Amino acid sequence: MTERKRFPWWPWALFAWMAVVIWAAFFYAPAAKGFKGESARIVFFHVPQAWVAVLAFCVNLVASLRYLRRRDLVDDARAAAAARLGLVFSILATVTGSLFAKVMWGSFWNWDPREVSIAILLLVYAAYFALREAIPDDERRASLSSSYAVLAFVTMPFLVFVVPRIYWSLHPDTLINSRGSIDMESRMFQVLMGALAGFTGLFFWLYTLDVRLAKVGLRRRQREES
Amino acid sequence: MRASSLLSESLAVLGKELTSELRSRVALNAVGLFALTTLIAVAYQIGPYKIEEADRPHLLSALLWIILFFGATSGLARVFVKEEDARTAKTLRLAARPLAVFFGKLGFNLILLLGLESLVVPLYCALMSYTVEGVAGLVLVMACGAVAMAASSTMVAAIIARASGSGTLFAILTVPLALPLLVVLIQGTKAAATSAALAAVIPALRAIVSLAGVTLVAAVYLFPVVWHD
Repeated sequence: MTERKRFPWWPWALFAWMAVVIWAAFFYAPAAKGFKGESARIVFFHVPQAWVAVLAFCVNLVASLRYLRRRDLVDDARAAAAARLGLVFSILATVTGSLFAKVMWGSFWNWDPREVSIAILLLVYAAYFALREAIPDDERRASLSSSYAVLAFVTMPFLVFVVPRIYWSLHPDTLINSRGSIDMESRMFQVLMGALAGFTGLFFWLYTLDVRLAKVGLRRRQREES
Repeated sequence: MRASSLLSESLAVLGKELTSELRSRVALNAVGLFALTTLIAVAYQIGPYKIEEADRPHLLSALLWIILFFGATSGLARVFVKEEDARTAKTLRLAARPLAVFFGKLGFNLILLLGLESLVVPLYCALMSYTVEGVAGLVLVMACGAVAMAASSTMVAAIIARASGSGTLFAILTVPLALPLLVVLIQGTKAAATSAALAAVIPALRAIVSLAGVTLVAAVYLFPVVWHD
């Protein structure tokens, strides 16, 4: 008798949550003061995308370190999955940031420190995949790309946290501003928190799917080899 | 005892690198000529008078580091790529422990970078009429910058030497890692150019030394993995 598969309820719950977040972003949260028209609503999508891009980088680091310790190719698949999603979310964060910049400051790209930091994060992800493509052997690819991921991670705090604070920036204050407080209207804050939770859930759902696919591929390859 | 033997092994690797480089001069020629060609192109096209006075400290510092960085990338990968090309990497693995290889190669890249800086910076100052108020500050920024740049590029060179298409990969992998460093190096050089006080370069120096430190610590942990895989 075959085991009955459990109904995967949480992707549907995530779908419903994201639908509510999208509705709330346009109809529940008020338009922010000090911004042109409704442009500030993009914050409910741009900030979570940037957050997920950095979160993916951290997941990539943890998986890379685990691979270097345990030498399990599944950990390498986890690192690659996180980097793939990180690349997608950094592109989305760059595009939404550029759209906001065009509306607020009149041009898509202003070489603002935060724009530069996300662009470099994008370059790091792209370089990681360029390296992976250049190494045909699975084990060597895993070990060299894990090493590069760890090396890249140590420079990221400078980019994401130090450089934007050294230079004057056009970018609006981050969620927790330079005075260490949160300066946001309560309904906007609720929607932003909801969006952050939703995008984090979306990341982990896509990540799980990618890792499961990679595991199937690994198992098939092992069967073919044996 | 262990530290001194690591030092002597590292010095032996450095000696081997210097001897083989003085014999072939491939990296020296590549780095030196690439930097000189770029410098001449920049000096010819921009020269000392085409930049507004107010923009000079920042733009000239940025141009200087672009010349130094791209000159350096043309030769820094060779330390490991040549071992793989000549199939001598296996012998080196048997002859010296991984950290000695790393520090020996790092020492060679550092000497190459310091040599490049001592050649390019005076020429650049002369050709672009770039006046530097704080010479001591500039020397410190250049020296610490060379250490930080050598640390990250030696580690990337070790990684790409085991991959195919290593020449192209080196630039692709190094640029994103070097960009934060270049940002603070340009800031430090600008500060040294505009102020004679050493205190002006201290904020940039702190960032450069921290970057060099974390990169070196990461490299010490990662290099044995990369070298033996």
